[in-house]
Amino acid sequence: MESEKVLSLTDLTMNYGPKRVLNGVDLDVFKGQIIGYIGPNGAGKSTTVKIMLGLIDGFEGKVEIFGCDISEGNPDYKRRIGYVPENAEAYDTLTALEYLQFTGELYGMDNSDAKEKALRLLNEFDLEDVAHKRLSSFSKGMKQKTLIISSLLHDPDLLFLDEPLSGLDANSIMIIQELLAQLAAQGKTIFYSSHIMDLVEKISNRIVLLVEGKVVADGSFTELQALSEKGTLSDIFNQLTGFTENKTIAERVVSIVGEGSHDADL
Amino acid sequence: MMQTFKSLQFLRLFKGLFEKFGIDYDALQKILSIKLTMDQRRVPTIFNDSKKKEGNHFFKSLWIYALYGLILIPFLLLGTNYVFQMSLVFGLIIFIIMTSMISDFSTVLLDVRDKNILNTKPINGRTINAAKIVHVMIYMTVITGAFVTVPLIVGLVRHGIVFSIVFFIDLVFTLLFVVVLTALIYLFVLRFFDGERLKDIINYVQIMLSVGIIVGYQILIRSFNVVDFDIVYSFSWWHVFIPPLWYGATFELAMHPIFTGPFISLALLGFIIPVIAIFLYARLMPSFERNLEKLLSDSGKKRKSNWLANLWAALTCRSKEERLFFRFAMTMMKKEREFKLKTYPGIGIALVFPFIFIYTELSERSLADISTGRTFLFIYFCNLLIPVTVHMLKFSGSYKGSWLLKAAPIKNRSAAYSGTLKAFLVKLYLPVFLLLSVVFTWIYTLNVIPELIAVLLGGILQTLVTYKIINNETYPFSNSFEFAQETDGFKMFLLSIVTLVFVITHLISTFINYGAYIYIAVLLIFIFVGWRIVFPTTTGAANNKLI
Repeated sequence: MESEKVLSLTDLTMNYGPKRVLNGVDLDVFKGQIIGYIGPNGAGKSTTVKIMLGLIDGFEGKVEIFGCDISEGNPDYKRRIGYVPENAEAYDTLTALEYLQFTGELYGMDNSDAKEKALRLLNEFDLEDVAHKRLSSFSKGMKQKTLIISSLLHDPDLLFLDEPLSGLDANSIMIIQELLAQLAAQGKTIFYSSHIMDLVEKISNRIVLLVEGKVVADGSFTELQALSEKGTLSDIFNQLTGFTENKTIAERVVSIVGEGSHDADL
Repeated sequence: MMQTFKSLQFLRLFKGLFEKFGIDYDALQKILSIKLTMDQRRVPTIFNDSKKKEGNHFFKSLWIYALYGLILIPFLLLGTNYVFQMSLVFGLIIFIIMTSMISDFSTVLLDVRDKNILNTKPINGRTINAAKIVHVMIYMTVITGAFVTVPLIVGLVRHGIVFSIVFFIDLVFTLLFVVVLTALIYLFVLRFFDGERLKDIINYVQIMLSVGIIVGYQILIRSFNVVDFDIVYSFSWWHVFIPPLWYGATFELAMHPIFTGPFISLALLGFIIPVIAIFLYARLMPSFERNLEKLLSDSGKKRKSNWLANLWAALTCRSKEERLFFRFAMTMMKKEREFKLKTYPGIGIALVFPFIFIYTELSERSLADISTGRTFLFIYFCNLLIPVTVHMLKFSGSYKGSWLLKAAPIKNRSAAYSGTLKAFLVKLYLPVFLLLSVVFTWIYTLNVIPELIAVLLGGILQTLVTYKIINNETYPFSNSFEFAQETDGFKMFLLSIVTLVFVITHLISTFINYGAYIYIAVLLIFIFVGWRIVFPTTTGAANNKLI
């Protein structure tokens, strides 16, 4: 598939004080790809995404998005990006509709367009009854849906999704899964990071595995399977991150939990 | 739904100016209107009860500033020695604006929580930062307005229209000066430090600023020589570093008019410095944003176990649960940055105030003379830190974590605050008090020790009374700081008066033979009985108190 390059990382390196978080990441992403960006906790996934969104400065290497170097400081490239943050951060005291309207306007949409589109999308996600309720009263799943809407409202060409499915029920997950596939077919690019391997395996057409700030595997699921003798992505993940101790750790934990619990005098 | 804010309509007048600084005005307006909308929605309870009060609680607490503003009136009526009177007036104004800026609005400037929401959008960092400072500026304008409206009218009546115009212009520049100066100081600090250390340094800077303002005010008064009840101003070179004098000088120029070199240069400083500060800030804004990120990074290091905390816990607490909360509160007070931000400046002031008064006495009497009198009662100024700090124990930046306290099988709920108050006394009150006591013992000889013990016991009793009046909840650290400044200002005012009650009782006791010892005995009984009534050890009584 020969298509347009959407983002390109060249030798991306990032240090937090003496600690090296990204250790020379090279990555080219093309139009219409769904990238599953995976790796153990602390591998540098969120840092990569935050650098691309312009949330973190002080990196070394080159970051190009839609062909422009983001270190030049022009924020206009962000207009074509949608983002779902990992911890469902939002202005909780606003109502869902107000929040969506606000984000839409920040992306340069017209006030009434943003409102109309937001209402229609809320309707599709079964949130029409709570459109005028505050986000602080939302359940985790409802809030997550609102944030997904806010990332799509301005029709972005590139989506960054950080654990986008946390808190969603099985039906909503199926909608999102289908949604991502259709968006990608339409030529949108999706950059997706998650710890749920089954989903990454199903959704992504390209999987990038980051370990200790470096890309250790990059390819489609079938290509990754060739690297490993085991079956599921979860197994491949274990193998490539060199983790085999799950059973012995669990045994140790169970035994520690059981210790001294009966003579505690509370 | 969203509404249009008057303050933003007013702001529109300066659209061109903002754009000159490279700020996207439309985005600025959107962000501000969202922030103001959110400010209106703060509800002072985490439980969603139906009769919750809407509206910006900030505006309801304004009248306390109006009340404070009345202090200015005597200075306005005094006479026509403008440089003296108006310097004092502006000294007080700067004091009020600066303290409120540091303790209540620093968090807005240093806030990085909405970074993920705003910085991912196509807006430049300059605009986001401008939104922050304008947001603060709106509130500071309102506070200043509440503080000076009545004095401004009094000035108009007493000194005429020219006076009030000068007053008004000076106010605008004072406000700009204070807000931008504070921002610049943070900017400077952010440049050189990071992580945990930065947070500590910011605390120290805040404490130093608060204390500095108070000491500065004393210096200001001293820059006038009182000769035969006629107050004469004579210029010294160091006066250029005292901002209130800049504005005092403008009145001399406008009203008398005395066009002498010193007055002209002082007055010019009053206008030039704020403008320079704004340009400097506009230039440095991008680096401010970048450095703010440092607040999030944490170069964590292993802390040594705190045997001292354990020792105090063992000495002061009655049950295992109380000791648990004692240690919990010790850690919270030490680590919670917002708590420190709001309370440590007050503690710094408590530490300095008694000395300022003794120092004032010194200008009239000798030290030996002072040491035989009752001026040791000045130490009660340190008890003024009790109401504010005890009030702050209700709040935490991570108040949402308090579900844990409700979910855990705690037998005796009253142990929670009992342990917390004890931790406050040990960790914050006692160090300040002991430090003061050492110096006081040196000044007033060993004879003062019984009196000091009485002051300490008074402090403990006041802590209990304060808790009963303002907190009276089950668990500490379980409310959002957003509501910290919304509590009835009048209540806090009254609680400061409680200190006065202790001072008067103590004063009376000094006229009685063995009065100090009798007073100590009475206080001990009150503390012993009072503590048991407020914090019963039986589970049943405590259960009823929950919610």
